[in-house]
Amino acid sequence: MDYRGVFDQVFGLQVWIAAGVFVLVTGLLLGALVLNRARRRDKLPFAAAEHNPLEITFAVFLGGAAAFLVWLSLSNNHRLDYGDTLAVAHQTGLAPGRQPVRVDVTAFQWCWSAAYPGSTTTVSGSCATPAARPVIVVPQGVPVEFALTSRDVVHAFWVPDLAVKRDAYPDHVNTLLMTFPETGQWLGRCSEYCGTYHKDMDFYVRAVPPAQYQAFVQTGALPAGAAT
Amino acid sequence: MTATEPRATVEEPRPAPHRARTTVLAWVTSTDHKRIGLLTLGTAVVLMISIGGLALTMRAQLAQPQLDVLSPDRYNQFFTMHGSGMIYLVMTPFAIGLGLYLVPLQIGAPNVAAPRTTMLGYWLYLGGAVTMLSGFATSSGAADHGWYAYPPLAGTRFTPGPGVDLWIAGVALAGTGMLLMAATVLWTALVKRTRGMTLLRMPVFSWSVVATNLMVIGAFPSLLVAMGILAAGRVNPAIFSDNTWNIGYQHVFWFFGHPVVYVMFFPFVGAVAEVLAVFGGRRYFGYKITVVSLLAFAALSMSVWGHHMFSTGQAENDYYSLTSILLLVPAGLEYFGFLATLLGGRLRFPTPMLFAVAFVPQFLIGGLTGIMIATPAVDYQVTDSYFIVGHWHYTLAAGSLFGFFAGFYYWFPKATGLLLRERIAKAHFWFWLVGTNATFLPMFWLGLHGMPRRIASYLPQDGFGTANLIATLGSGLLAIGTVLFVVDVVVSIVRPRRAPDDPWGGFTLEWATSSPPPPQNFDPAHPVPPIHSYAPLLDLRAGEGRA
Ligand code: HEM
Ligand SMILES: [Cu+2]
Ligand SMILES: [Cu+2]
Repeated sequence: MDYRGVFDQVFGLQVWIAAGVFVLVTGLLLGALVLNRARRRDKLPFAAAEHNPLEITFAVFLGGAAAFLVWLSLSNNHRLDYGDTLAVAHQTGLAPGRQPVRVDVTAFQWCWSAAYPGSTTTVSGSCATPAARPVIVVPQGVPVEFALTSRDVVHAFWVPDLAVKRDAYPDHVNTLLMTFPETGQWLGRCSEYCGTYHKDMDFYVRAVPPAQYQAFVQTGALPAGAAT
Repeated sequence: MTATEPRATVEEPRPAPHRARTTVLAWVTSTDHKRIGLLTLGTAVVLMISIGGLALTMRAQLAQPQLDVLSPDRYNQFFTMHGSGMIYLVMTPFAIGLGLYLVPLQIGAPNVAAPRTTMLGYWLYLGGAVTMLSGFATSSGAADHGWYAYPPLAGTRFTPGPGVDLWIAGVALAGTGMLLMAATVLWTALVKRTRGMTLLRMPVFSWSVVATNLMVIGAFPSLLVAMGILAAGRVNPAIFSDNTWNIGYQHVFWFFGHPVVYVMFFPFVGAVAEVLAVFGGRRYFGYKITVVSLLAFAALSMSVWGHHMFSTGQAENDYYSLTSILLLVPAGLEYFGFLATLLGGRLRFPTPMLFAVAFVPQFLIGGLTGIMIATPAVDYQVTDSYFIVGHWHYTLAAGSLFGFFAGFYYWFPKATGLLLRERIAKAHFWFWLVGTNATFLPMFWLGLHGMPRRIASYLPQDGFGTANLIATLGSGLLAIGTVLFVVDVVVSIVRPRRAPDDPWGGFTLEWATSSPPPPQNFDPAHPVPPIHSYAPLLDLRAGEGRA
């Protein structure tokens, strides 16, 4: 799923709305301060302490705004398959030949490993230095299902550039379905606090063309001169 | 006025006035709500300054990439004790303690209901604070599992050492203390109102405290259950090999954890409302709708907890998104009251008013970003990043603390009979205004650019250096402002200037009695005035043609 695209749309719209509200409220506030200075009032601008029709109208307006924002939130969550809380393949109704490629990702204190079902290829690292970060290789252009779990405490799999995050629990598998439209390599981080070296738990996700991916799964290494 | 003014509750016998003793022993064994309230507030202020010190040290550590001010373990202890300390030991006691001090005065009661239970609440809170912080004195240091202590990390398998045990015991003690105090203050508002003080004549502040205490009573038992689960896991960590307990803990914890967030700002919304009305020289606009919104807000707050769990893959995200976004309706109505009162007032700008006015836009930033993270598609990106850290510091530090300072400067002369120095107070305000925004605004940018929360350091190539440096410089301004605040209080005590009974032209009953109020709050020289609305002193002045 295109988490980044959905994020940019929804967040972008919300930022505009929020900016509008902020400017309006701050404007009214500053307006009150400035008018007050200018006129050095000797009596109140208005004496009423309530105005029920106005208050109720405003409440109805707020209800409408809330309804719109709830719709925005829910419909986009559905575009993301409810954040994959439901069985992924079932939800997306993918054609049989297009079943996602599964990658088993396991978090542990304090790094990540990945395994590829039906193959002996594994990826791991120590995360102690940038050079020791594991590189999780995935195919470009086909749906990938990350099956996330943990060996010890709760961690979280986060790729900031792709705007996607999911927690990794012990004794539980979370799935995350996404497609990588382009080849490339992105930095990932652990975003759920997990102990002393939480800060170092960085990794990479690398999308390569399907043929190179096949070679990687079979041999455990990317062919020389693989796309980056 | 008819002769049969509605009588809210039975008339309390008022014992003959006596002079209050001022020995230390008399203070610490006092059953006077004012003294217990001041002990609570004073303890919380001292803790705020020390726990704020932990935050400054963290900011120093993060000022640039790869600094060594703190080791990773120390950093982790510091953010845990800063976060949990601010929540359990500072903001919640501020909220409940302010209510304890003011509600009996505002409703014309001679004391809090069940004063000994209230006193016990204070002692449990103090004991809890000492217990939590004593972790620093153990060889393995204080707790370092974050303020919500998720298992299995918080179990003995991954975090051995007594720091966590002390933390669990301390949180349970302080939580019980706050629960008792909230219950007695709520009871007071319900049964000890004076003649004429009907429910719909209670000041907005008192109403905000009622709503707060209802949430405490609904939510804090759940905190005690959560601490029970953690304690069980300390004894038998094997239970946390089972996902049910881990995710179950999160549900139980957040059922407490979300309402407590509102406990930490409701009374400050109330305080800001009072301050805006008094320094606007007018009756608060939209009283009834504000009361209804506070109660609706409190009720809804019990249904939103899962928005802390959007990325767990184990929560019904749509439902929690729906309930969370609905909160904008009561919140918007409260803002309507703020703005209408300001627009319809003749404004004066002493320090309490400055903090109250700044509260309005700053807290709004917290609220607007709150709607964003109540949207799962956005939260999947920003949760557990610095965006979230920015969000809640806007609500709590740039919001609630500004409301707290508004209240502090407003009621200090009442509580102590002393005047603070306006010039120092105003300098405090300006340092804080610039400081909070410089500290917390860059955090939104950092989160969007991939900085996770709770990291003890970062690398130069991450590109987080400049924004973090600005944040750290901002926190330096906060430190200067805080020093000025302390100086102001010390000067006012060392070189006392007597405060009159009503220095600001207040509207509510506490301004009708002496500063500080007598032991039973009102006495023959300061009787409870007649009450016909939520602004009785304003009515009185209007009757005398003075307003
Ligand atoms: C006003 C000055 C303050 C500064 C400079 C400050 C700074 C910080 C810093 C640097 C962190 C660590 C962030 C991280 O590593 O993830 C933090 C965390 C936190 N702060 Fe503050 N803070 C301030 C006030 C407050 C206040 C008033 C509250 C009120 C409740 C508060 C509540 C928290 C909480 C709950 C955490 C999270 C702890 C955790 O992750 O477990 N802070 N703060
Ligand atoms: Cu981690
Ligand atoms: Cu919440």
